[in-house]
Amino acid sequence: MRSKYLVKIVSSVVALVLVSLLWVLIVSKPNDGQVARSPLLGQPAPSIVTATIDDQPFDLQRRKGSWVVFNFFNSTCVPCINEHHLLVDFANREATNDNGAELYTVVNDDSDDAVRNFFLKNGGDWAKLKDENGAIAVAFGVARVPETWVIDPNGLVRLRVTGELSEGLLEAQLDKLREEFTS
Amino acid sequence: MLLLVCLLLAFGATRSGGPQTQQDRIDLVTSHLACPTCSGESVFVSRASAAEAIRTEVARQVGAGIRTDDEIISYIEQRFGSQVLLVPRSTGLDSLVWSLPAAVLIIALSLLVGAFARWGRRTPGAPSVADETLVKNALAEPSQDDNES
Repeated sequence: MRSKYLVKIVSSVVALVLVSLLWVLIVSKPNDGQVARSPLLGQPAPSIVTATIDDQPFDLQRRKGSWVVFNFFNSTCVPCINEHHLLVDFANREATNDNGAELYTVVNDDSDDAVRNFFLKNGGDWAKLKDENGAIAVAFGVARVPETWVIDPNGLVRLRVTGELSEGLLEAQLDKLREEFTS
Repeated sequence: MLLLVCLLLAFGATRSGGPQTQQDRIDLVTSHLACPTCSGESVFVSRASAAEAIRTEVARQVGAGIRTDDEIISYIEQRFGSQVLLVPRSTGLDSLVWSLPAAVLIIALSLLVGAFARWGRRTPGAPSVADETLVKNALAEPSQDDNES
């Protein structure tokens, strides 16, 4: 008799756990456009020395004094395509700000021509950085694109957003950071 | 002679047969790292672009000769998180991966030993009145063999 009750209790608990897991799966939203944690936050940004797809040299050390935004991008990645108009709006907004951020696209596993064509078609005149062998992606711990990172004028990493940006997210986060870290 | 054999066996068992070439080191390090975009594949075997990028970075660091294998693995872990380690560390929360199965095994064995001991001690209870009546009736009934004879 006692074991009958035990079986009922155990099976009820198991059923409850399974239903809870199912519920979490149903109601959870995709992990897109989220401010994410990284051991690099608050740490000096990795040293990045590369060139743009137009063969202009780029050294992150020399960008100290400016807010820098890196957007890891691939022209065939659907979330990258989806968020592109938001980046164009963001770049236009920052261009009108005295303390505006510099936006850079970091080309991830894509050809220069494909990126050039994408930007010709969809707009965006900011610099596009080559990432030979994915060294920049590894230095930031980027496995999937898109990802967006913000580096403050002292060269410290301040923000990581994984997945597709949502409208106003980058602007809101950057304004908050500027308020907090601009002396 | 026995002592010598034991010493040689102990030496052989504890000796580190570390990799000799740079490629061996690259293979060893990448086989300890999980491809961050695949499921269950190491960086060593994966052809995914993220794995290739990590492999290239490991090769660069091995070639530079500044970091040890553990330091290179830590460098990658610091960027991609502890989920990039195929063999979890034995410190912190990760140590549960090693200690929990051992704890569960010990508890299960203890419970089994306890249960066997209990079963061994158990003596059959006294027969009830109904049991005794049943046996008495069965004995009283003439068997089929008796009827035939």
